[in-house]
Amino acid sequence: MTDPALGLLMLGLIVVVIMMGFPTAFTLMGLGIFFGFIAFYVPGESWVHNRVFDLMVQRTYGAMTNDVLISIPLFVLMGYVMERGALVDKMFYSIQLAFRRVPASLAVATLIVCTFWGIASGLVGAVVVLMGVIAFNPMLRAGYDVKLASGVITAGGTLGILIPPSVMIIVFAAVAGQSVVKLYAAAMFPGFFLAFLYLVYIIGWAMINPKIAPRLPEEQTRVPVPAWVRQFQAAYSRNMPVALVSALFSPTRAMAIKADDGKPLGYWTLFKNLGFALVPFTLIALTLWGVWWYVVIHQQVTVEAAPEALQQLGSPGLTPAPAAPSEAGPPSAFYTWFWAIAALAGLVLARYYARMDGDRLQVVKLLTSSVMPLGILTVVVLAVILFGITTATESAGVGAAGAFLLAFHARTLDWKRTKEAVFLTAKTTAMVCWLFVGSALFSGVFAILGGQALVEQWVLSLNMTPVQFMILSQAIIFLLGWPLEWTEIIIIFVPIFLPLLKHFNIDPVLWGTLVFVNLQAAFLSPPVAMSAFYLKGVAPSHVTLNQIFSGMMPYMLIVILCMVIMYLWPGMTLWLPNYLYGG
Amino acid sequence: MSVQGFLHTIDGISTWVGKAAAWLIMALMTVVCVEVFKRYIMNAPTAWIFDLDNMLYGTLFMLCGAYTLAQNAHVRGDFLYSSMRPRTQATLDLLLYLVFFVPGIAALIYAGYDYAADSWRIAEHSNVTAEGPPVYHFKTVIPIAGALVMLQGIAEIVRCVVCLKTGVWPSRLKDVAETDVIEEQLAHSEYVDDDARRIAIERAQRIDETARQRGMGGELNT
Repeated sequence: MTDPALGLLMLGLIVVVIMMGFPTAFTLMGLGIFFGFIAFYVPGESWVHNRVFDLMVQRTYGAMTNDVLISIPLFVLMGYVMERGALVDKMFYSIQLAFRRVPASLAVATLIVCTFWGIASGLVGAVVVLMGVIAFNPMLRAGYDVKLASGVITAGGTLGILIPPSVMIIVFAAVAGQSVVKLYAAAMFPGFFLAFLYLVYIIGWAMINPKIAPRLPEEQTRVPVPAWVRQFQAAYSRNMPVALVSALFSPTRAMAIKADDGKPLGYWTLFKNLGFALVPFTLIALTLWGVWWYVVIHQQVTVEAAPEALQQLGSPGLTPAPAAPSEAGPPSAFYTWFWAIAALAGLVLARYYARMDGDRLQVVKLLTSSVMPLGILTVVVLAVILFGITTATESAGVGAAGAFLLAFHARTLDWKRTKEAVFLTAKTTAMVCWLFVGSALFSGVFAILGGQALVEQWVLSLNMTPVQFMILSQAIIFLLGWPLEWTEIIIIFVPIFLPLLKHFNIDPVLWGTLVFVNLQAAFLSPPVAMSAFYLKGVAPSHVTLNQIFSGMMPYMLIVILCMVIMYLWPGMTLWLPNYLYGG
Repeated sequence: MSVQGFLHTIDGISTWVGKAAAWLIMALMTVVCVEVFKRYIMNAPTAWIFDLDNMLYGTLFMLCGAYTLAQNAHVRGDFLYSSMRPRTQATLDLLLYLVFFVPGIAALIYAGYDYAADSWRIAEHSNVTAEGPPVYHFKTVIPIAGALVMLQGIAEIVRCVVCLKTGVWPSRLKDVAETDVIEEQLAHSEYVDDDARRIAIERAQRIDETARQRGMGGELNT
């Protein structure tokens, strides 16, 4: 048997052996040792001196010093701490109140919570089970269609592995030799676009056919406004911001009102409430200022600093590499758009504040205390990575520390939970990284045997167009997603496709992002989708698996639609990485 | 000593080492945060920090390998596996431990020892920066981790044999699981009805198992 043929045999065997259920890390290691032993076999040499054992150690050391993988334990730790620190049911409750006038409000709230909490957690099973308990029963009791209710939970629960900061993307970056930040930037828009498509589908369906998602009865959507707020509104004005400001100047009437704990209102309560009322304004102002700072102020500093660095390089024949568009200063259209958006935001805010009564203030308070800490931490971590201010590892470290701070602040973290988060992090990290040890040996031996060349020849001899290749590769990954977990698919099978992408002129970043989205569909495909079984575990007994599966089908089609849109319009994926880091 | 006692002793060793090494993640987090502060705020970066990060991370995951194995937390392609009878599972596992596991891990110990010994002999230093810190102790982690994983592997092989004889898998030490978060989240919830909460907490572990079997265990297939 020739060496390349051995390589192909090795590849064929791996699929069979993985299905035998042995821990994948050791399966890869074992197959690598076995075939490597044959490849390195020298007649007459003692078997203990076979070089495959040295290769094994070298490859292990390679995994231990892989600088991309360092961020995995840090991101995993951040996820576990946030997952234990955030209060999901409070989040669900306040988001549901905030969206009480939207059609299918419970489903919309479920999707939003899944997206947010999925960002933090990234565990499909835990998200689906928890949302099954918190949201599924209320939806069924409100008379929601079983399919709608089950679909939104299972589809939302899998979003977490796609939206950054996700471990799957780091693993892909390590396998593909791409930069983590670039992949994060690329997955950003498709991830939220997919969540947006889900949202459009739910609201659209509920508007066409209101029977599937009846409005909640009045008593369930009533906002729990404290009694003093009503008296306060009567004393000053219906509009809370106006009432609060005027109370600060003439506090006599306010002092007469008793707060919930029986004491009269003081300046501190008034200030605090005014602060809560200003939260939406502050958030929007900060976002706009951040964009302005990054595009206009930050760039001028780098543009001035650039020539110095170039002189030091001092190779006269070379033209300097074209700067990333983000470093070339703001395009002229930017100012028009910026002020248009700022004006629009100002109008919306003005209208919002003009109508802010006690109910709305209470909703803002609830949202601020439940959603905002998690949201701000996520946004800050992502922004620091994406804007290239720190590396992925550094942001992950700061993010993990931030998660600890938030959880301490919310008093949800005690010693027991800290220990749990640390031990779970250790187990997950060891699981992923030992997989890398195994696959590093496997791919090393595969390369020595020359199996890759044979695969390439064969694929090229098929004379496929890039589109055909794209569809073929994604279809294979989709099918593999049925029996396997994402770790195995990305570590074992993605490397086989990667070298082929060059032949077909496909951008590996675009292809990788398509794989991430693709795996979503694989997790939603009957009859093997795990999330359906998680939901079935907590659902009332009259809900059948078939109902859950048929509820998932439309979401699977939406994922495929999203992939088609991504392919037809690569700008959605590639614009952000190209804008931030250049082509 | 009974077989079960022997298994739990080895599990205990692996778990203790793994849990001790797990705390390196806090060290890694602190080191990274301090360095971020020094580099971006004080403008005084440290040269050897990259090596230190790498060593913390590498030691962490290598030493936790045995712990993860003791908790059966290494990912398996368990689509078919989890619906087999325990005896079939044990037969497959026993065979594959001997064929796949033992040679690879033995290489880690044996060739890893030479690798680390060479590094000690030449007093190897990291070449990431001009004045890199020594790396020989870091390379010594390879044979140590290999020995720990091998020890745990022996326990797993004994487990397979016991299971072949009795038809049930011997117990493992109890440890935190990912599904614990369900209980923690629901224990404090204010807006969830009690029945659903109780069912979910009680059955969290079971739900996880059934979901992994994709309903092939039977029970849920309605």
